[in-house]
Amino acid sequence: MRIAKYPFAVFSAALFTIMLMTPVTSISNLIWLASVDMPVDFISSLKVILFDFQRLGIGLYGVVVIGFSVAFIVAGLISRFSSLGGKYLYAIAGAAAIGMTLFLMVELLFQTQLLAGNRTILGKVFHIGAGFFGGYFFYSLISSDKSYTFIIRFLGIFYAYWLLGLSLEWIFTPVQASADFGFILNELSNEAQNALLRDFTSLFVATFLFSLLGAITLNPAWFFSAGIIYFGAGIFNLIAIYVHGTGFNQIFLFEFILGAWPSALALTIILKEKKLRN
Amino acid sequence: MKKNLLLFLLLFSNSSFSSYQLETVLSDLDDAWSFVFLSEDKILYTEMPGKLKIASLSNTFIKEIENVPVVQYGGQGGLSEVILDPNFESNNTIYLSYSATNENNESTLFVLSAVLKGNALENNKVIFQAKAPRKAPVHFGAKIAFLNDGTILIASGDGFDYREMAQALDNHFGKIIRINKDGSVPEDNPFINVTNALPDIYSYGHRNMQGLVVTKTGIVYEHEHGPRGGDEINIVKPSLNYGWPAITYGLDYAGAMISPFSENEGMEQPLLQWTPSIAPSDMIYYENDIYPELKNSFLVTALVSRDVKKVTFKGGTHNQESLFSELGERLRNIQASPGGTLYLLTDGPSGKLIKVLPKEL
Repeated sequence: MRIAKYPFAVFSAALFTIMLMTPVTSISNLIWLASVDMPVDFISSLKVILFDFQRLGIGLYGVVVIGFSVAFIVAGLISRFSSLGGKYLYAIAGAAAIGMTLFLMVELLFQTQLLAGNRTILGKVFHIGAGFFGGYFFYSLISSDKSYTFIIRFLGIFYAYWLLGLSLEWIFTPVQASADFGFILNELSNEAQNALLRDFTSLFVATFLFSLLGAITLNPAWFFSAGIIYFGAGIFNLIAIYVHGTGFNQIFLFEFILGAWPSALALTIILKEKKLRN
Repeated sequence: MKKNLLLFLLLFSNSSFSSYQLETVLSDLDDAWSFVFLSEDKILYTEMPGKLKIASLSNTFIKEIENVPVVQYGGQGGLSEVILDPNFESNNTIYLSYSATNENNESTLFVLSAVLKGNALENNKVIFQAKAPRKAPVHFGAKIAFLNDGTILIASGDGFDYREMAQALDNHFGKIIRINKDGSVPEDNPFINVTNALPDIYSYGHRNMQGLVVTKTGIVYEHEHGPRGGDEINIVKPSLNYGWPAITYGLDYAGAMISPFSENEGMEQPLLQWTPSIAPSDMIYYENDIYPELKNSFLVTALVSRDVKKVTFKGGTHNQESLFSELGERLRNIQASPGGTLYLLTDGPSGKLIKVLPKEL
């Protein structure tokens, strides 16, 4: 765990930073929409903030991980070979990483400001501030000993974060979500639309919650619950293909991965606990 | 995966594979952007680095035109549209759109009129300079078309980083402009008497328009690139607001939600929107008889879907069909010759001009 905690601290700090960064773009867009008399309300604001956390965040995540990795290695070396160190060194490194990453994204890659929230000085300050808190969070994670549960929690939360996208899509944009699954929602009967919406939304929201609860409580039953549902989806998908002749698809592979991920977390918890008891 | 398979099947089942003979008549064109027919055999075409050339299609003889304005080539900018004056036969006047830097060294869109005399331009006159200065040379729009009353429409894009400006009337970001041939503002422009509005604005709330067609009956159609999804075809009418970026069917490139709204009172809905994006790059309304199956339909070239969409509108619905996908090329421009033969221009530094021969030949 001594070594493993560092990369997982970077992954965790990056996710925390994303959670602080994406609302900058969401809120700047919402403020502008309200300024031109668009009917911005609580639900539409929530929709934008949650969607951005997932869809914008998942794209930014890799970039932040790379930026943080470089910055925290440099901070670690400075800390080791000088009298400087501590939480503020990592916080400044995090801020510098985000500032530099956003600057380079414009200057080297796109020429334009892809992150709408970064177009204003205030937006830049908020983003750099998010990096500062991300660095601070990273330091708090590495400054204490971590057990295996740290990794379990991260992987459980990351799994939930991924499922959040599907859940949001089924809640807020069911037509698009249906299309992604090969249905033209409006062409289905009312009963079929109802069944599709309630069952799919329930499936993704439930598994999202199961994995989140698993990460919080470390009770393997929650992770197994999510795993069983997706293993079931994979198995019944194969039955549908080969017994009921619904046509081949490769979604079952994806379903087995979604089943295996939380199941592996649950099994790890059980085995580790058993080992500790012995 | 199932969706991808369906998409693949749809693409190829709708494609008129091998229905047409496609013949490359010009090649190695350097980032060619638009072309126009001077005769059945001769075209005038632009290359983004700033070259305007005349080419003979029968013997592939190419001659560069002199005295072309200096352009800012880079990003999406450069020498863009070329069109002929409706009275070209008598006045030899052409119009060019291009990006160049203004007095503050910022990029913006310019439109120039000039007389084509021999192999040179004369009487060059900038008739429009967009009040849309930008740091990055992107999203210029740059399409030009003549209305049936002889005034000029110019598509001025939103500049990407300045998208919110498309909703304000004090600038040229995300606007369609209407001016006279000499650059003056027509007195019947919709915002001419509106305080703080630029008088040459015709419609607003657009993104990056790269298709602009005026039919014989005077209806104006435009298409514009959406962000990630939400490419649109609209009927353009004076004074109307087309909604960008307050309403959109697309997402930001980074994945963010630009707006949770796709419709709002006082904002126009598209006739057709493409999600996912096809990246529409040009459009004509085909009215000739050479290809009867294409008559009275819009032909839209696309960069991402690498085909031509044949689009027809009837009774509030639309039909579309994919053509020429067998080329597998990003298509930049489409024109019909005076006799009605279709030509396609491919995108990029080694562009080609491809002649489309009807099936029966």
